[in-house]
Amino acid sequence: SNVCVTEKFIEMFRFSVAVFGRGVAKRFSSSFPAEGALPPNLQLPANLVDPSRLKRPPPPADCPLPLLRRCEAVVPAHLSPMQTWVESLQMEDGEPLGRAELHPDVFGVSPRIDILHDVEKWQRNYKRISYAHTKVRSEVRGGGKKPWRQKGSGRARHGSIRSPLWRGGGVSHGPRGPTSYYYMLPMKVRVQGLKVALSFKMAQDYLHVVDSLHIPTPDSQYLLDLIRRRHWGESVLIVDVAEEFPENILQAASDLKKVNLIPAIGLNVHSMLKHEAVVLTLETLKFLEDKLLWHDQRYTPLYPFKLPYRDFP
Amino acid sequence: MALTSQLRAALVHIHAGSSAAGLRSASSSSPQQQNPALIESTEEFVFVERLIAPSRIPDPPKHAGPAPSGWTPPAETPPPLPYMIRRSRMHNIPVYTDLTHGNRKMTLVRKVEGDIWALEKDVKQFLQELTGKDMPTQVNEVTMTLKIKGHFDQELKSWLSSKGF
Repeated sequence: SNVCVTEKFIEMFRFSVAVFGRGVAKRFSSSFPAEGALPPNLQLPANLVDPSRLKRPPPPADCPLPLLRRCEAVVPAHLSPMQTWVESLQMEDGEPLGRAELHPDVFGVSPRIDILHDVEKWQRNYKRISYAHTKVRSEVRGGGKKPWRQKGSGRARHGSIRSPLWRGGGVSHGPRGPTSYYYMLPMKVRVQGLKVALSFKMAQDYLHVVDSLHIPTPDSQYLLDLIRRRHWGESVLIVDVAEEFPENILQAASDLKKVNLIPAIGLNVHSMLKHEAVVLTLETLKFLEDKLLWHDQRYTPLYPFKLPYRDFP
Repeated sequence: MALTSQLRAALVHIHAGSSAAGLRSASSSSPQQQNPALIESTEEFVFVERLIAPSRIPDPPKHAGPAPSGWTPPAETPPPLPYMIRRSRMHNIPVYTDLTHGNRKMTLVRKVEGDIWALEKDVKQFLQELTGKDMPTQVNEVTMTLKIKGHFDQELKSWLSSKGF
């Protein structure tokens, strides 16, 4: 859209001004503007949107709103829980209802894009089976007889009409499918990928917490207006613990391509990267923290975790 | 919990009614007619539950100072340094040795948080006082680990535990 193009243009221009301004500042200090300042003859459209001023800043320490959710798990002594707003979907332009605490070991881990890349690549490839298959010279029909005698005919020597040199012959080093690209990353790497993705969403202000998913109408336009009003982003992923979602939001999101609902067990790195904003409910926060923090303090499996354990989360 | 309810349903312990004659003849009819005092009880399931393996590593018991094995608990409050080294999941200090190519000795300090360069400076100073030589170190800011040439795991472990990590 026009807004995105102009935003990118502004960012590119700011970057180029900063880069070139620094190098050439010594020689042409009078003609170039200060670093970061825009040139005077730049014409900006009237409806230009600055994303950094749109979203609500994180709650300050002395916020009067109540703390609706505390961290149940033990937070390490040298870290403190992070806080976000808890909003409601009942009204399009509602103020936040309260604050929620988030565990720093789930929502504040170090930004490992290499782990994100590994997990995303794994998610794409472990299901892949490539069915490409070519025939080798022994599998192509025919070609058992020597076409002409070895010496004396004047032509090049050949042993079969289906060798890879011949038209219609077999492929010497082609795909020999079906090939499977299945592999498993270690469980802890996949868990860390989820934590890193959630931390990235939190750090980039794309994570929103909602008390419940009840909306007043099953109208898709209501959801779109709500997302547009609150500047959540282009695409939204809504996560809830329960398998059953309220009827209204199911119907509203069923027609929308960019708003999707998933249960909390279906949360994965690819979906989180695909959608710009992620909306969690308070129960989802508890579920995710329980499941993801258990991996930090578990034994190595004595028998598969599918079998019963005493204190499995 | 779902576990106990499923297993209780599957493994109901049946008490035989206490009758005078414990033996029954093979030609007897169904037990209900023989022994009407059959009691189903699930109280003994506790003994089965105790045998199922735990999945979480328990917290170590409170020790005032070092334990008889030599293990020292971390300090109550984290030390006021710009970096923090967490304990491993078995509550040990995350310093490990590595030997590659048969002769390359390395020491690895993992699970560092905060200013890793300050830790590197302190480690270099400590090893300078220990050995008198400047040991080469490698800082990996992505994985937040510190590699040192040579085997110094015991010295580094005691140094870190004395700091309170």
